[in-house]
Amino acid sequence: MLEKLTQPDDVIRWQGDIPVRHRYTPGVAGEVFLTALRDRGAILGSRCQACAFTYAPARLFCERCFAELSADVEVGPGGTLGSFTIGFVGVEGEPLDVPVTLGLVKLDGADTLLLHFVVDAGDEVLEIGERVEVVLRPPQERTGSILDIRGFRLTEGFAEA
Amino acid sequence: MGRRVAVVGAGMTKFVRRAQETGKELAWEAARAALDSCELTLKDVDAVCLTSGPDAFDGVHMKGEYLSDGAGAFGKPFIRTYVGGGSGVFTTIQGWYTVASGMFDVALIVAEEKMSSTQPHPQGAFLTIFDNVLERPLGPNLLWIFALEMNRYMSCYGLDKRDIATVAVKNKRNAADHPAALLGQSDITVEDVLASEVLAWPVQRLDVSPISDGAVALVVAAEGVAEKLTDKPVWIEGVGWNLDTAYWTNRDLVFPEYVQSAARMAYEMAGVREPRKEIHIAEPYDPFDYKELHHLEGLMLFDKGKAPEAARDGVLNRDGDLPSCPSGGLLGVGNPIAAAGLMKCAELFWQLRGEAGARQVPGTPERGVAQAWGDLMQVGTVVVMGVGGNRSGGGALAPLASPSPTPLREGPAPFSPQAPSPGLLPLIQTPPLAAGGRSLSDAEFRSAVGAVDDAVDARYSWDTGVAVSGFLRGLRAGKVLGRECRGCGRVLVPPRMFCEQCFRETDGWVEVESTGVVNTFSICHVSWDMQRLVVPELPAVIEIDGSDGGFLHRLGEVEPEDVHVGMKVEAVWKPVGERVGSILDIAYFRPGGGA
Repeated sequence: MLEKLTQPDDVIRWQGDIPVRHRYTPGVAGEVFLTALRDRGAILGSRCQACAFTYAPARLFCERCFAELSADVEVGPGGTLGSFTIGFVGVEGEPLDVPVTLGLVKLDGADTLLLHFVVDAGDEVLEIGERVEVVLRPPQERTGSILDIRGFRLTEGFAEA
Repeated sequence: MGRRVAVVGAGMTKFVRRAQETGKELAWEAARAALDSCELTLKDVDAVCLTSGPDAFDGVHMKGEYLSDGAGAFGKPFIRTYVGGGSGVFTTIQGWYTVASGMFDVALIVAEEKMSSTQPHPQGAFLTIFDNVLERPLGPNLLWIFALEMNRYMSCYGLDKRDIATVAVKNKRNAADHPAALLGQSDITVEDVLASEVLAWPVQRLDVSPISDGAVALVVAAEGVAEKLTDKPVWIEGVGWNLDTAYWTNRDLVFPEYVQSAARMAYEMAGVREPRKEIHIAEPYDPFDYKELHHLEGLMLFDKGKAPEAARDGVLNRDGDLPSCPSGGLLGVGNPIAAAGLMKCAELFWQLRGEAGARQVPGTPERGVAQAWGDLMQVGTVVVMGVGGNRSGGGALAPLASPSPTPLREGPAPFSPQAPSPGLLPLIQTPPLAAGGRSLSDAEFRSAVGAVDDAVDARYSWDTGVAVSGFLRGLRAGKVLGRECRGCGRVLVPPRMFCEQCFRETDGWVEVESTGVVNTFSICHVSWDMQRLVVPELPAVIEIDGSDGGFLHRLGEVEPEDVHVGMKVEAVWKPVGERVGSILDIAYFRPGGGA
């Protein structure tokens, strides 16, 4: 049933796209989280008392028990590096002039991990379990974005076992 | 047929143009309201069924996984199903088989849609439902297919637009009594509908349901469990679903065969022999006013072409012989696509329990049917729900007790950073449990803290495939080609290498005529992103002479008022040197072609 193509010209293609853009609003909990980050440099989380579990960033509800939550705890700025990777290529596979380091960090007081850049590490070799802290942008540069955090930088020491 | 399954709880958010909540926050509001309504917690849920429309609305791929926490799926068996606009009713069917199978006793069903994220217009997400190679180059928009179907329906039966418009009036008036409604309006008239802007004739603005955000949830439970959870379980008596061919220009749009097939399946399972006597309430799918009538005929509740006069005569009113869309439907409550379908099942739940408040239909309705429709005008999903009648075993219903108080959140939510806006909460104390769905104004949407603008920077190169590339080579040579199927004797246009009816290889190429007949047409005044066009477009489905099919194209060299269904037309070819192997090698069709 499949016909063998003998002429490259036989392959007809049609080019197209899906002409949509998106505007993502951060939602009920997201607005509170980003406003506090912008205005106070605070990282807000939500504590579910019933589950004894703290989410950061803050959430409107506990996914474990469906309780309504509020942005009732401040977490960080210190934390522990849970994992990291160093990216040498961009999304199109192109080599990056400056490699980018990404870390998953458990901020002090939170039970969840936050993804962000690891910055100012220089030539230091990273290790899982190292202590880090949040680096904020100056107040006048903050816009209410996860990028109001510039990233995490290493501090002295390791998390206690 | 497995275990009997009942709906025991329901909840929904308000339907709003733009919700402050994220999609997962909307899902949680509705799911929690549904659990609260039957005094269950997430621990009591054994499995979760979710539906939501195209990922492109939210701009979130893996939308099922994205919504899973709000749907209550953390650590539970979970799957998202999707059949286009039919999804909302289908997810009730999914909930039914999840429990009827015996694997789970209690399932949570959630339907969410957030269309407001899509820029510049949610229609952009719909454009790829058209054939990438044969239809998108013509510049179609979603209104085209509705307008083409509506015109075919009106032309074949000689229907009066005025009768059809009474459906929009009925539903927007009904929605005025729905606490979650976006477009309820108690004083709207047929004249208002007929005077509204013509979008794609015969579709006018007030014939169409609004773009919306919202979520709806149901709790279903197995026989033996359901009776312990509520004094008034509403049984899922029958389910049906059916899909017609994706070659929508190859079938007669005048009647939805797939809805009839799905309805037959559901009625048979429910033991309904005479639907016109045994169905007391209908919630047919009404994204456009004519669709409600089209679907009532597909549901075999009216003869073909006869539903419009029933609408005119008040038969479909809340106090009529067959109340249809007593909720207010998509036209009045709103159309967050997947959620809107499930809202119809929720409405039957409230109506059959006598809990619909100001929307309650009179008498003691015992059985209702909900139906949705979707994909490329090809899927029908049908659910029959009831509180009595032909029940097999299970014993008598427990005596009706007064409804237990429903735990509801008091006052503004802790997360509410500013004073409550008009769209914010006031929680409704009687069903439906409208929680969440906090409306953002256009200005609030534009200025929202932390909002992110993004575009998925993906472009596509679609292979035209074996059959269509042969068709396109034919067009380049000035010929219209089809494929012959000797199994069913059809000549297929557009051609395919297999016959979807016989499921066998087609037998060979056939040159057919470049003339045909206008099967249906529209006069479209807006672009896909709803910008007004200076010169209206004339999309049409052309039945091609010498074939059993046809395709979508445009009409030219004719005044819009002179076009009619059944008009003979002929292809106008581009000059040979300008043909590239495209559907646009035919510039348009014009009147002519003999006879």
